[in-house]
Order: sequence, then structure tokens, then C-alpha cells
Amino acid sequence: MSAPGSHAVSTRPYLLNAPALGLFLALFVAPLLMTFLLSFNTFDMNRGGILDEYSWVNYLEVLGDSYFHEIFLRTLLISLAVTLLCVLLGTPEAYILHRMASPWKSICMLVILGPLLISVVVRTLGWAILIGSNGVINHALIGMGLVDQPIKLMFTNTGMVIALVHVLIPFMVLSVWASLQKLDPRVESAGLSLGATPFVVLRRIVLPQIMPGVLSGSLIVFALTASAFATPSILGGRRLKVVATAAYDEYLGTLNWPLGAAIAMLLLIANVVIIVSYNKYIERRYAQVFK
Amino acid sequence: MSFLRLEGLCKQFGDFLAVDDVSLDIEKGEFVSLLGPSGCGKTTTLHMIAGFIEPTAGRVFINGKEITRERPNKRQLGIVFQSYALFPHMSVFENVSFGLEMRKVRGGERKKRVEETLGLVHLGDFAGRYPSELSGGQQQRVALARALVIQPEVLLLDEPLSALDAKIREDMQIELRAIQRTVGTTTILVTHDQAEAMAMSDRVAVMNTGRLVQVDPPFTAYEHPGDSFVSRFLGKSNMFSGSVESVSRAEVLVRTSTRIMEAAVPRTATAPLASGAPVFYSVRPEKIHLVGEGEARLTGNVEARIFLGNHWVFQIATELGTVIVVSQNTGEVAVAEGARIGLDWEAREVRVLSREENE
Repeated sequence: MSAPGSHAVSTRPYLLNAPALGLFLALFVAPLLMTFLLSFNTFDMNRGGILDEYSWVNYLEVLGDSYFHEIFLRTLLISLAVTLLCVLLGTPEAYILHRMASPWKSICMLVILGPLLISVVVRTLGWAILIGSNGVINHALIGMGLVDQPIKLMFTNTGMVIALVHVLIPFMVLSVWASLQKLDPRVESAGLSLGATPFVVLRRIVLPQIMPGVLSGSLIVFALTASAFATPSILGGRRLKVVATAAYDEYLGTLNWPLGAAIAMLLLIANVVIIVSYNKYIERRYAQVFK
Repeated sequence: MSFLRLEGLCKQFGDFLAVDDVSLDIEKGEFVSLLGPSGCGKTTTLHMIAGFIEPTAGRVFINGKEITRERPNKRQLGIVFQSYALFPHMSVFENVSFGLEMRKVRGGERKKRVEETLGLVHLGDFAGRYPSELSGGQQQRVALARALVIQPEVLLLDEPLSALDAKIREDMQIELRAIQRTVGTTTILVTHDQAEAMAMSDRVAVMNTGRLVQVDPPFTAYEHPGDSFVSRFLGKSNMFSGSVESVSRAEVLVRTSTRIMEAAVPRTATAPLASGAPVFYSVRPEKIHLVGEGEARLTGNVEARIFLGNHWVFQIATELGTVIVVSQNTGEVAVAEGARIGLDWEAREVRVLSREENE
């Protein structure tokens, strides 16, 4: 035992990591790999479902069919709209929260984070009650005589976007909030003392410094919207499919698992490409803030 | 009317009176320090001048014009913050240029003024750097340049040197003072460091518990402290509790616990000394000489002896308590610890300061 520690020290970190690594491999990497492999299987109902033949046929089907183009495009547009709305609403929300005085700050924080404590399905069903043709909003509008016909929000893109913004805005607020915490409160005073109006201080001094928060918030919101399932399936229904609900339908409706897997893989790739290039762009643009 | 005038400024936070009736007149070009322990209201006072905190009562005038309710971005003030508060996403040049942009100074003129000011703080070569690439001292200079470039009517320094190392801090004190003399901007420095305040200012304004206690040139404030707080806060002092035995035109006799000692009549007495009034008999450590036992006013044992290069500090146990003595290093080894020694001082070096009954 001349050097008792040397061997143990070099393996210990790996041993300590092993349980987490094992869990990660078993529950994330393995299913992902299996989905990836599954997406190359061919499928024929008449010959008994999934066959042991490998080809690009599923990918070609998705990429060549305008039905799927529409679904992907809808998903992209909804994701962009939700992300944009979350930035426009969440950033000021976080800033106002940041400037609030002590008791109200915590109370409002709780109100904003409250939705995260409730299941997304329950929250979405809540929105269905609100925006349905017989829902609270339409009853109120008709009752006040503002509209004759119920406004159609249920099973529309607008309805989905509204509900998704509500579901996802806490992530935006939290993310911007975190970068506001790192802001030296005196820089705003410094800006004012140099003759800048409060608005100029906000635009030229505060906003550039909280860009990392806005960026990470919008990445989280975009990724979660693009892969959202519960809200689109309840509020979008069968007709307004997004990629996640389309994959679900292939798996459980037509039982074409390989096609569903191919859709899932394409969503993953699209998500990664968009997020990585957006990240690169912003980091270059605001290089100094990220240091 | 003076250039900058504070008139009865008060600030109340809930039940707490942070600033209590502060009035101060500052001449154009003067360098005044607001000095006091933390929580004495000095920073709150500065922020009321800057417009970040609204006074509960009182008024602020600059150049005869009242600015008490003026918005901070409308006051022509330059401020250097303790944390520097540089804009991290802007280069040094952009940081300094920001105030000029807000004043709509055009490109060429702006560039010239930014470069001039960066030269003044010896950062001419750093214009393209970002704050994160600079040392603490350099960031401090950028903050100063950013405040000076707009040619403010008054420069406010909020503990600007407290985040720096001792060595750089001393250099910056000298440099800051030199820059202030060059540009001639009326300056208010907030600090809790008495050495810094004395080194840099024309006058120090000592604050305690929200009140302005004494406003005087550093030498006057040190030599003739108005009360025991100032005496203790500016430098060190040996203070013996006692009461006035008798007052004549030539001297005051003070009765301490064991003996009666004489002192010169105070130059400016805050309140006339009456027989029996509780007072401190106060002598600065450097005014006490170590002498033979026979010729001494007081004798004691050397408890501790600390060598600090240019001077010695002695702690001497006497019948009146521990006395601190500071003497110049004259090149000879000083008295040993444990030795019996006599202490002497001139009666005119003694200050008789009023004392609360239970102090």
C-alpha cells in the first residue's frame, strides 16, 4: 500500500457519477437510440406491422407529404408566436417584479409561479372552460352585448397560443429574473446621473445586460412549445395537429410506430438546429454580456 | 450664497431618522468629505443631493437654484459609485461617451472630450477595453472619467476607494486629489475612512447618527475636536473621565478618579465649562512623551510595545487605565515591555470635552 490513494482517487469520481449516469443512459439515451433505430424500420399492416427491413422510407414520406409540411409549419409558427409573446410579456413582467417592494414582490412571484404547481392538463382544461363557445369569456361578451356570435377560440391557433403563453411564461420570467439579480442596482442610477431618461436607461443599460436571460428564457419556451403535447391536443383537437400530436397519432392511431419515430426524430433535429443557431447568433451579438 | 447649499435636510425611513437636519454650505471648487461610521446618514445625504432619495424635509441648492425635487437625470451632477457601476456591455470609450451622447454632443467633439478625459485619468490606451478586462483601480478611473467628462457642476464620490487594496488606495487618494485640483470641480466625498477624508479634503464634515457634528478643515478638526465623538473618530485619543474642578482664565483643572490634572482653556468651548460638569480629559497619543518617573505627570508599566517602522506604539498601564502612546522611531531601541515609565504632556495639548453623565 505505498500509494493508497492514487488508484481510488482516479476512479472515485466515475463511481460517484455512475448511478446518475446509469439512470441517464437507461432512461434517456437508450429510448432515444431505440426511437432512432425504429424510425428506419419499414411498416406494412398487411405483412404484420413493423418489419426487419431498414430504409429511409419513413423520412421520405414525412418530408414529401404536404400534410406533414403543414403540421411542421404550424408547429414552427405557434412556437415563434408563443416565444415572441413570452419575451414581450415576460421581460417587462420580470423587471416590474424586480423593482417591487418587499412583501408584494414575493406575493406576485408566487402568483406568477403558481401555474407551475398545477398539472398542465388541468390548466389546459381550465382554458377550455374559459374559451369554449359556451365558455366564460363568450358568455360574458355576449351578455355585455359586445358580440352576437361566440368568438371562436377553441380549436384555433389563437386559442392554443394564448394557453401556451400562459403555461410557459413562468419560465421566461424566472430566466429574466435570474439575470436581473446579477445586475448592479447602481448602474441604473449611474445612467440617470449621466442624463439618460428612465426609458433610455432601460433600453441602453438594463436590456442589453439581461439579454442572456431573455435568450435562455426564449430557448426554453421555444423548445417546450415545439414539443408541447397536452395543450395542442386538448385545445387544437384532431384537426389542428402539431408535430407532437401527429407523432402520437401515428403511434397510437395508425399503429405506425416507425413513422411516428421518424416524425419525432425530425422534430428533435429541427429543434436542435434552430436553438443552436439562435444561441450562436445572440452570443455573437452580445459577446460582452456573456463574459 | 455658497455654490452648493444643503438647508435643513432630513430623511425619515419609517421610525428611523437617517438624516437629521443637515445644513452645509460648500464653496465652488471646494473638496468636502462627509465622514462618519456606517449608518450615520452620510450616504443617504449624498443620495439626496444626487436625487436618488427624496428628502423628508429641507432643500438643496446648486448655484442659487433649488434642485430639491429635480429628477436625477436633470441635475448636472457626476457620481462615482462604490461599486463603480460601469456598464459592462460597453467599452471604456462607450462608457465615458454615454453622458455626452445623452447631452447630444456631436461625434467629433464627443470623441475629443472622451479622449481628453481618458488622458486625464491615464487610461488613454484602454479606450477599446471592456470593464471586465480592467483591474479595480482602472475601473475606478473609468468611473471617474465617466463622471467628469460631462463637466458636472458637482462631483459626488460615494466611497469610491473602499473596494481597492491599501496600496492602490493611497495612490488613488493622491491622484484623485490632483485631478480634482486640475479640473476644479466642487466635490463631495462620502467615506468612513478618516485618513482618506483628512488626506483629500479641504474640509471634513463629520456625521454621527444622522447629524452633522463638526465641519472644519482636517487639521482644525483633528486638533480641536468639537466633542468626544469627533475626537475618537478622527485619530486616536486617550480620554480620562472626570469632572471640572475649577476654571480660571489660564487653565481648567479636571478631577479624575485619582488626581486633579490641569488643561488649557478650550479655544472654542461648545458650552461654557461649569464647576462639577462631567468632562473627558483628552490627550492624543503622539502628544505624550515618555520621560523618567520623577518628572512625570503619570507613571505606568509598559504593557505592550509595537514597532511600526516609522513609529512605536506603546500600551501603558496607569492608575487611570491603559494609555496609548505613539513616539517617533529615532533610531534607538525603545523602552522594554514591563519597564516602569513616566508620561508627560503639555497642558495646552489637552482637550477638555463634554461628557454624558454615564459615559
